[in-house]
Amino acid sequence: MKNRFIILTLGLVFLSLAAAGQPSTDDLVSTCVLAAGENTTYLKDFRIQLPKAVQNAAVPVYKANMYLMKNMKYRFCVCDAPGSEGELFITLYDQGKELISSYNSSTGKKYSSIDFICNKTGLYTIWYSFVDGTQGSGVGVVCMIR
Amino acid sequence: MTGTLTKIAAVILLMSICSCRNSSTRPGGLSFPVADSVPAGEAEKLSEEAVADIVQNIASPVEIASILQKMQVPFSAGYLAPTQGADRLTTNFQKAVMLGIYGADLGYLNMYEKTGNSVDVLSVIKRLADGLRVGQYFDFETLKRLSVSKSNLDSLLFLSVNSYNQIDRYLRDNDRGSISALMITGVWIEGQYLATQMALSHNDKILRDRIGEQKIILGDLLMLLRPYMESSEEYRALYGMMERIRSGYAEVKVSYRLGEPETKEEDGRLVVVQHEESIVEMTDAQLADIAELSKEVRNKLISGI
Repeated sequence: MKNRFIILTLGLVFLSLAAAGQPSTDDLVSTCVLAAGENTTYLKDFRIQLPKAVQNAAVPVYKANMYLMKNMKYRFCVCDAPGSEGELFITLYDQGKELISSYNSSTGKKYSSIDFICNKTGLYTIWYSFVDGTQGSGVGVVCMIR
Repeated sequence: MTGTLTKIAAVILLMSICSCRNSSTRPGGLSFPVADSVPAGEAEKLSEEAVADIVQNIASPVEIASILQKMQVPFSAGYLAPTQGADRLTTNFQKAVMLGIYGADLGYLNMYEKTGNSVDVLSVIKRLADGLRVGQYFDFETLKRLSVSKSNLDSLLFLSVNSYNQIDRYLRDNDRGSISALMITGVWIEGQYLATQMALSHNDKILRDRIGEQKIILGDLLMLLRPYMESSEEYRALYGMMERIRSGYAEVKVSYRLGEPETKEEDGRLVVVQHEESIVEMTDAQLADIAELSKEVRNKLISGI
């Protein structure tokens, strides 16, 4: 009985230390804001966690709508959570029409951020998903370029 | 056996406490009374998806302040809402609207690096946030330290905007969308007030366009407020006031010129330049009318303090 108690205690200590070693989502947002670079001002963040795509079904997507303003420059950054299996990417839509994506599925090239020079004020849709529909977690940050 | 179980329980409890990092900023375990919630029947009139559609970045105080800064409009403390008397606010309605108004003022102060002046505003924001039971998202001490030291403007901007985003997210996730809607309205009306007052004295096309484009956003803001209209006389009055501002926009025209986006790579970053354009047509008289209506509503809202 005593041995079982010691094993359980050690197990819990290990789990606790492992949990403490994981950065919180807030930490990941801060890291991602830093990755946006100088001369940017943080506006918004999106916390994304998506399951693995099911065969013959649409790839899981996190969708968000955001007003973007004419004469403003925006930077959209994506950051994967440590240990995330999938690589996060973003696609920006204007009224259902794709404007840009940070991942090119035909070449496999992926960017960690995209800059958008906005010339039309309106409601835009941001899609976040993981490359090849892999499960994963991460954050998307939207900044204004000063 | 009982003693062993007690020890295990004690260890689990201790470990839970030890492993909760930043627990002060994680209020997930707290439960809030729903006195300021709107009956489910009311909220159902606007689907959750539709509300989510319109609330992201509906009003960003730093964007308006950034335009004013680019125009080289000098900072004017005279446009800020007074902070004296904020303690007298009693209803959640007043507190939420004023939290939004002071949030916009904080953005204006920070963008102009008038951070020393922002301590009063920060103190009031903290009190209002506490009053609405969302103060846990507002790291007052760090914000105050960054403001006083003027050492890291980027961190200050990030922390202040992030606090508002977290408050908004928390309110919406916890069936307090009515309070979130009021806060967003407060941010919007103060940004609108600042922009219109500056536009009257500084003729700048970008700023005028920004004011004209609010016609689109105001429509969505009204849609956000509509489900709560019948919940109290205060909401109804606010909706009526916002409708009056919208009436000022009736003849303002927003049209679009089509164009294909251009994509390029610059310094390893992917850049897209949009060539489709929104065009605003607004006369001086229309601008003056909108400015007057916006001022009237804003002053009415801050008159409670």
